[in-house]
Amino acid sequence: MHAEFEARKARNPLLTEAGWRMFRLLHDHADAPRWNYQVGDRLIAADLPPVAAYRRRIAEQRPRWSPEPPEWLVRWLEQLRAQVPLFRQRLPLGFNIRRDWGYIETMQREDIALRIEQLVPQDADLSRLIVYETNGTSTGHALDVPNHPASVALNHPLLEFALAQHGVRPEFSAQHLACVNLGAEARTVIFPNVFAVWNNAGFAKVNLHEASWDAERAKRFFAQLQPEFLTGDPIAFAEYARWGIDYRPKAMISTATSLADALKQALQARYACPLIDFYSTTETGPIAYSSAEGEGFSQLPPDLWIEIVDEAGAPLPPGEMGEICLSGGRNPYLPLLRYRTGDFARLLPQGTPGDPAPRLVDLQARRPVLFRSLSGSPVHPLDIAYVLRTQLWLQHELLQRADASLRLRIRPGLGRPIDQDALRAGMAQLFGALPLEIIEDSQLGAHRPGGKVIAYRSELPEIPPAEGIS
Amino acid sequence: MSREGPSLEHLLRRLTETPSLFLDEPLIRKRGKVDLAAVASDLLLAIGGTLPTLKEANAFQPAKLAERNPARLLLIACWLLHDDWFVQRAELLGPIKTLLAEGLHELGNLIDAELFVTDPERREELVRLVLDALQLRPAGESPNQAADRLKSLDSLERERVIRASRARAEAERARKLRAEMEAREAREAAAKANREW
Repeated sequence: MHAEFEARKARNPLLTEAGWRMFRLLHDHADAPRWNYQVGDRLIAADLPPVAAYRRRIAEQRPRWSPEPPEWLVRWLEQLRAQVPLFRQRLPLGFNIRRDWGYIETMQREDIALRIEQLVPQDADLSRLIVYETNGTSTGHALDVPNHPASVALNHPLLEFALAQHGVRPEFSAQHLACVNLGAEARTVIFPNVFAVWNNAGFAKVNLHEASWDAERAKRFFAQLQPEFLTGDPIAFAEYARWGIDYRPKAMISTATSLADALKQALQARYACPLIDFYSTTETGPIAYSSAEGEGFSQLPPDLWIEIVDEAGAPLPPGEMGEICLSGGRNPYLPLLRYRTGDFARLLPQGTPGDPAPRLVDLQARRPVLFRSLSGSPVHPLDIAYVLRTQLWLQHELLQRADASLRLRIRPGLGRPIDQDALRAGMAQLFGALPLEIIEDSQLGAHRPGGKVIAYRSELPEIPPAEGIS
Repeated sequence: MSREGPSLEHLLRRLTETPSLFLDEPLIRKRGKVDLAAVASDLLLAIGGTLPTLKEANAFQPAKLAERNPARLLLIACWLLHDDWFVQRAELLGPIKTLLAEGLHELGNLIDAELFVTDPERREELVRLVLDALQLRPAGESPNQAADRLKSLDSLERERVIRASRARAEAERARKLRAEMEAREAREAAAKANREW
């Protein structure tokens, strides 16, 4: 057993004896799902003081709206300019960052997808680099996003702050399962873990899908382990309710796609806990959380500057609807300079009584799209993305028409042709024998602002948001 | 640099006196104020050219935000070239057209245009660069003197040297980055757990 403990430390270097017991409790639980992956937080002792400092900073330096880039951002850019090739291109020598901010060319997903080496600072230490693979489910660009365990760890205090704003203070100790992340996909990785930033508290990523679990075992798992809070996308939360799981966490955090009001109300009514909607992306980390008081989403991190811009990249006045554009961030391998998210909102300078940070209202981001197979069962965009990842492509658009037939437009990458037979086989596994038209389009998205396309669209009648929730 | 041009001091003074109109924002996709195509057309007409066709004039018009700084530099160059010394020499029409069309773009991508008015070295660089493009040299200077002085101020040449010395290191760095990003451990460590919250 001791050898296993030591081996686990390769993934969790700060694992304690108590943390190891929590890990084993999750890993060996009789009703656990069929774990299929191993992952750790990879944090070392030197990473923890910056997390504590960041926790204080989040509380003490709430973001404030300003019409021009804040001083910290200007200084940060001046420091990075010499090291980031893309910044050197975008900011000529002598460029007046503060005065001419609105004229800086915006960044887009394509810059990350195709030119990541232009973005990673030349002097950044790559020895602890990790890579997040995104499937481009919202804007159609698959991305590999480099990150650092220490900067990912800073997402934890951001989550703590949002929870606290909603009156939730979870127990973070090795005797508690802090969080379960819910999925509802045909294929995904699932694993137990502990987080050093939460004193070796437990974490589990599970999948509410018959391929890896069943409702009765899931019910017992949640009832016995009692996670402090749950995270997941709206589809997974709907599935949690549909499986009839009664366990009530202290909070539910909805991420990845936007949460429909009707589903939110239904979940809140059933589970009687705060349901916090998170606006977050892999490229940027957390951006905003649904305000505890008042409408919209309050900006979360103090080291991100939010602008709303028009199609040409010009800043729009407060209150006007436009694209959310971000600068700054914590990822040492992905500094953001006017990064267009592809999401739209209005920015209100005024905060709420509990948080002075500016708010995003009427957010139109990452709307969930549910497809149906020939048999009528739901197909998650992430499962489609797995099929698409077998091909080298830059962007895609999948449409399911009202008659359930499918049309896939795809922009091949690096001049390589798409293997249509392989794609058809993969899609048939998900959708059955529905008609599928595949169109290779080398110009897809090329003429749209930011190269954005609507990756997933369905003309099927909408699924009732509270389906399965009694 | 076959011929003597106007005096350096005269052109430097002209640059320091650049009217605000030529420092205003160039019109790009409905943003900005100054129509660069109109300003360039005015200059070419003044030197004795014919009224440019719409297509010729639009070639000067920046189409995207990324062309903003080169467009600002072009506006300043138009002011400089609107000096009587140039305007009275119709034989310069061809070289000036060429200069405006392609001679300043690279420099405009490198250095903020305003520095060519506010910074003494950059001011002198622009004047000498423009004269050199028109095969002229400042009045009173020998060809060698003019060439040496331009070389010592040449931002583009300096940038080429820096880029050349950086190129190998950047290529190696890009290769290393790709390798690190492909490493199995790097991908395993980042399975979605806490990346978005």
